[in-house]
Amino acid sequence: MAPSSSKAASPPPAARRGAGAPAAGVALVALAAATLPLVTRDSYYLDVATTILMNLTLTMSFRLQVSTGQINMAHISFMGIGAYASALLVTRVGLSFWATLWIGALVAAALAVPIGSVALRVSGPYYFLITFAFSEVVRLVFNNFLEGWFGGPSGLVGIPKPDRLLGLAFEGKLELYGLMAVLCVGVALAFVRLEYSRFGLTASAIRQADLLAETLGVDVFRYKLTTFVLGSFVAGLAGVFFAHFRQVLHSSDFGLEPMVLLVVFTVIGGTGSVWGPVVGTVLMTIAGELLRELHHYEILVFGAVLILTMLWAPEGLVALPATVRRLLRMRRSKDARAMGVGLAP
Amino acid sequence: MSIDLLVQALLNGFGLAMVYVLVALGLTLIFSILEIINFAHGEFYMLGGYVTYYVYALFGLNYFATLGLAIVTVGLAGVVAERLIFHDLRGKALNAFIVSLGLLWVMQAGAQLAFGVLDKPVPSAFSGIVRMLGLVISLERLVVTVCAIVLIVGLYLFLRLSRPGRAMRAVAQDADAAALQGVNIEAVSALGFGVGCALAGGAGGLLAPLFAVSPAMGALPVVKAFIIIIVGGMGSLPGAVLGGLLLGGVEGLGTLFMGSAAVNILGFLMVIVVLLVRPRGLVGGA
Repeated sequence: MAPSSSKAASPPPAARRGAGAPAAGVALVALAAATLPLVTRDSYYLDVATTILMNLTLTMSFRLQVSTGQINMAHISFMGIGAYASALLVTRVGLSFWATLWIGALVAAALAVPIGSVALRVSGPYYFLITFAFSEVVRLVFNNFLEGWFGGPSGLVGIPKPDRLLGLAFEGKLELYGLMAVLCVGVALAFVRLEYSRFGLTASAIRQADLLAETLGVDVFRYKLTTFVLGSFVAGLAGVFFAHFRQVLHSSDFGLEPMVLLVVFTVIGGTGSVWGPVVGTVLMTIAGELLRELHHYEILVFGAVLILTMLWAPEGLVALPATVRRLLRMRRSKDARAMGVGLAP
Repeated sequence: MSIDLLVQALLNGFGLAMVYVLVALGLTLIFSILEIINFAHGEFYMLGGYVTYYVYALFGLNYFATLGLAIVTVGLAGVVAERLIFHDLRGKALNAFIVSLGLLWVMQAGAQLAFGVLDKPVPSAFSGIVRMLGLVISLERLVVTVCAIVLIVGLYLFLRLSRPGRAMRAVAQDADAAALQGVNIEAVSALGFGVGCALAGGAGGLLAPLFAVSPAMGALPVVKAFIIIIVGGMGSLPGAVLGGLLLGGVEGLGTLFMGSAAVNILGFLMVIVVLLVRPRGLVGGA
């Protein structure tokens, strides 16, 4: 087939929509984030909203890696690395938060280079397991080694809030919320640009058929490593904020449970579009708050929702309208074609 | 350091490792038949522990009869899980992995609600020590290790000699070809999943008297089982035994030099080294 005519005939949906719609979406999220303080300044709601934005930053960066077909079970560890790095640099070295915000993220990214290079040598089930092994190593190091630095099982305490910047004191919930909102919207903008760039298209080609992409001249390993490092940088950024927002760090903050929560947020929304994690994170964080009183039930409900989503709507909530439409069409035409059930379309 | 101390440390490591090999064999069997990784495997181990607690510690049934009951009960639970959840996910490693994370939460939270969050102690079935060649071994640990080895040999014979066992091996080698030869894939998958879970249940029953029973008890053995099957090669039964021996040796020796919590890191470092040198594991095929 002639490449030029096929391009003209059926451009990929992403290109057809252009970057206008998603940019408008980011603007909408930014607007929503900016409106909240006008509606309520209740510290509980601000707290929940800040957590949502922080989780959103994490799930967006997690999805970046899922978008090249990698479920990185060590993603939460890079958040931890950023968090511990910044906490130590501020309390021990006396650096300013505004410097360690970037240094912490860079430390996470720097460690992601060797770890990613090792982990990406394997694929499929081996990849989940080796990244899980890495995450356990990191957690065990925080928990059992260098207690003088990391605080051991009792955790790292006494982390100060961000220091003053441009006359703003980051003491209250409102300022911290604002800071997280700026970080999150910045990350969202960067990811949306990336998604609709050549890089994003290549990533989606790798996810759909990595061997084919490789034969077409894509350096698959380099792309996967780049997404791994970039994702880790953003996770580190979220981690630094987490450290100075919560002011206490425990190794269990970066263990299996929060990691599975990240998977839940991302997968339930759907990994096929940048909006999947947004929908999943907002819905599930609010659901989590509503179920907080009943801790065991919260986990039970989340687990059940995860199973049902993967069995019946594996493309996530965002793709639900399309999935339902396709199911209806299939029923009508009694078409026995495969449904194309996958993690992402 | 005396040689006695060294041998003693190695023996301690191997003893527990054999039980973890049981958990690992179940995982690897399920992986070879369904091509999925069941992250909730440790929860079936936990079920085995609770069966032991209720039937042996509370009701007072004979220890070995309880063990058999734990194996059968958890095996049936595995068959149910396969029929309800996993049967459509053959070969969809990514989806199955995420589903199993969900199942892990459901089972753990379910256990917290049903059995309570507190640790439940299970009394020892055997007490005393055995002295052999200047080594001291607790009788209980010896019985546990021997039981584990018996179960491993039993699994080997089942897969080698019995008809369903041969069908499982055929499906593991090539599911389509096996189906063409008239093997009922659905039945074999359900049975394979059940047998895999039954092994985990047996391991849970064996270790219940050594460690207390709790909803989160499955986490440690399943992590060890992951290490064992990665090191040995996923889907390889001899690899799982070899991986278990290696892990037992490394951890046994490690306890001589570092605290028991810190020892856990050795296994993970072993995984990373093995995957770097032989990405398919020591015995793994192509």
